[in-house]
Amino acid sequence: MSFLPGWHVLRWTLRSATCTVLSRRQNIPQQPVMSTCRLYCSTDRRTNQPSLSPKQLQPGRDLSLQALLDMGFTDAQADQILEQANRSRGSKIENAASMLMTLFVLGLNTSSVVKVLQKCPEVMYVNGTHLQQRIDNLRRLGLLEGSLQRVVSHYPPILTLPLKRVNMVARFFREKCAFTVQQVTEILRDSPAVLQTDLGQLEYKFQYAYFRIGVRQPEMVKSKLFRVTLDEVRCRHSFLERRGLYQTPDKKGQTCIINPKLNDFLNVPEETFLNDIAKATQEEFEVFQKLMAKEWQEEDDEQERDTGADSDDDDDDEEEEEEEDLKSGYSKRK
Amino acid sequence: MAALMDTRILLRKIKDLRSLTPRRNRVKTKWAGSLPKYPATNLALQNFDATYKLQLGEQWPSVRVSLLCEQKYGALSNNFSDNEGVIAHLQSQGCRDIVSCALDVGTRGMAASSHDKPTSIESITVSPDMPTVSLSPNIKCLVFPRRDVSRFKPSRPDAHGLLGYYLMDAASILPVLALDVQEGQSVLDLCAAPGGKALVLLQTQAIRFLHLNDISWGETERDTFDRVLVDVPCTTDRHSVKEEENNIFSRVRTKEKQKLPQLQLELLLAGIKAVRPGGLVVYSTCSLSQLQNEYVTERAVHLAREELGISLQVADLRPLTQLFQDTFNFAPDPYLGQLVLPHLTANFGPIYMCKLQRLN
Repeated sequence: MSFLPGWHVLRWTLRSATCTVLSRRQNIPQQPVMSTCRLYCSTDRRTNQPSLSPKQLQPGRDLSLQALLDMGFTDAQADQILEQANRSRGSKIENAASMLMTLFVLGLNTSSVVKVLQKCPEVMYVNGTHLQQRIDNLRRLGLLEGSLQRVVSHYPPILTLPLKRVNMVARFFREKCAFTVQQVTEILRDSPAVLQTDLGQLEYKFQYAYFRIGVRQPEMVKSKLFRVTLDEVRCRHSFLERRGLYQTPDKKGQTCIINPKLNDFLNVPEETFLNDIAKATQEEFEVFQKLMAKEWQEEDDEQERDTGADSDDDDDDEEEEEEEDLKSGYSKRK
Repeated sequence: MAALMDTRILLRKIKDLRSLTPRRNRVKTKWAGSLPKYPATNLALQNFDATYKLQLGEQWPSVRVSLLCEQKYGALSNNFSDNEGVIAHLQSQGCRDIVSCALDVGTRGMAASSHDKPTSIESITVSPDMPTVSLSPNIKCLVFPRRDVSRFKPSRPDAHGLLGYYLMDAASILPVLALDVQEGQSVLDLCAAPGGKALVLLQTQAIRFLHLNDISWGETERDTFDRVLVDVPCTTDRHSVKEEENNIFSRVRTKEKQKLPQLQLELLLAGIKAVRPGGLVVYSTCSLSQLQNEYVTERAVHLAREELGISLQVADLRPLTQLFQDTFNFAPDPYLGQLVLPHLTANFGPIYMCKLQRLN
């Protein structure tokens, strides 16, 4: 933290410098200043906050076209942002400036900022300090420079989620699904959409993969299991299983046939899956999907009827202790 | 009195409490049986995997997934009930009658090759070198088209308490069609229960005399029937892989399963004895197993010639199967008889059938 005072000095010099430039010649774009900003961004992202257009630092400042141009947006981009901002609730516009700045600090360039806002306009309403907190939290979860920027630009809604939710999901993966910290990071990086998914569903999907497909955590992460919908996972797995090409390993992990890797049948386009792994026609798989949807619907209906009839019966107390914790949700659904 | 009852119930309850029974009198409950529990359906699947993979080769995975998925039904129209409305309703849902479709295919083929109008029992030739196939136009079986997975509703009784249609595996009508019943013939159905095929036989409305037989039977007269349907008990492949109940692969029924081919052979021989010279016997199973299909037929033909002095000719079923190619998925090149393979797009069968004609 020793560099901070010196940093402040630089910040103030920069501010006064740009102010004078601005006051004297309005029409000259802030290219030189912005490029220095970029330079700082790339060298030291954590501390370059103040190096941005200093005007934006004033709280409650309106978001004007000029300010946006100052930040380095092109005319069209600035127009777009303004339009979006006006469409949203006007009262919270002052957040926008600090929000934009935080995004710059993160290391996004103007075009990716525009893309982020396009993909998820809700980011507009997020307060700058909140945004910074959330980004810091993601860093704490192990999303380092590079992957953090990628996640944000691919899945901007991640910025609208409160800290609590993100941490809860991360904790859920560690505690309920026994993923390591590193694996959780990888999951967040590969499939940030899990943050907005219902935890019950995630748990079911994990347990389906763990108990029915019989794969362990490293392979789940590798095959990007959480990117694929549960129905797709179940469909592909059941299809292979019923064709006699996949067997659930026994307790020792043994099977009578050689199973294809999860990565090979889940993480590939349907055509490759059908041609190389399942060796079936498109037509067959289509009909199979229809039949499966029907079967599951019926299972669910039956279960609803069962739970409605006798909600208080508890008949499985001879479950293995070590796996009991993981199994709870799965056996509930089964 | 009430108090007395209460104390008795109370006493019984107390007896059940384990803590109050002395340890020496407690019965230790057994947790595990001596044998590990394997569901019969799993045993069936293992068995099929071992045998059919060799027999069907590349096609086995497709057949396997079809066996394990929901089967398709056909609605056999009941001509004895007043069901025109019901049938029209089914047709409006997209169902089509496979028999009349087959007839259309046949007439188209015939128009291309030759002339001749179909009569009441329609005779058609498929191609010049093929023998004539006749299908009873009275049999109507409605199915949803290929790839359609809709289901039929259970049929409702009409004003006279008769059901408009009977739901069964649509492929089961094939053995009956292969039997080729003509006006005024006498027919024997050797293993009639539960009566699905017998019902199809009756729908032809051509039979003079129908003799139904099952396990509690006496001797039938020899050399009397024009047509004999021998639909034998078998491993019922579809049932065996899906239902635990009444499963032939359960351990207690091992003996019975092993004796099946012998039983099938005896039944077929009984059928051969019952048919008159010149009459037809159709042997059918709902299994894919060669042991229960081709081998039984072959052995029966052999034994009939050697021991009974009856010579039989295996009739060609290809003209019939050609007519139904759009509906069913037939095994590509069977060496004896015909086999309907289940396929996801047309999940009927498995049905094996072989038609034998008695020569002397």
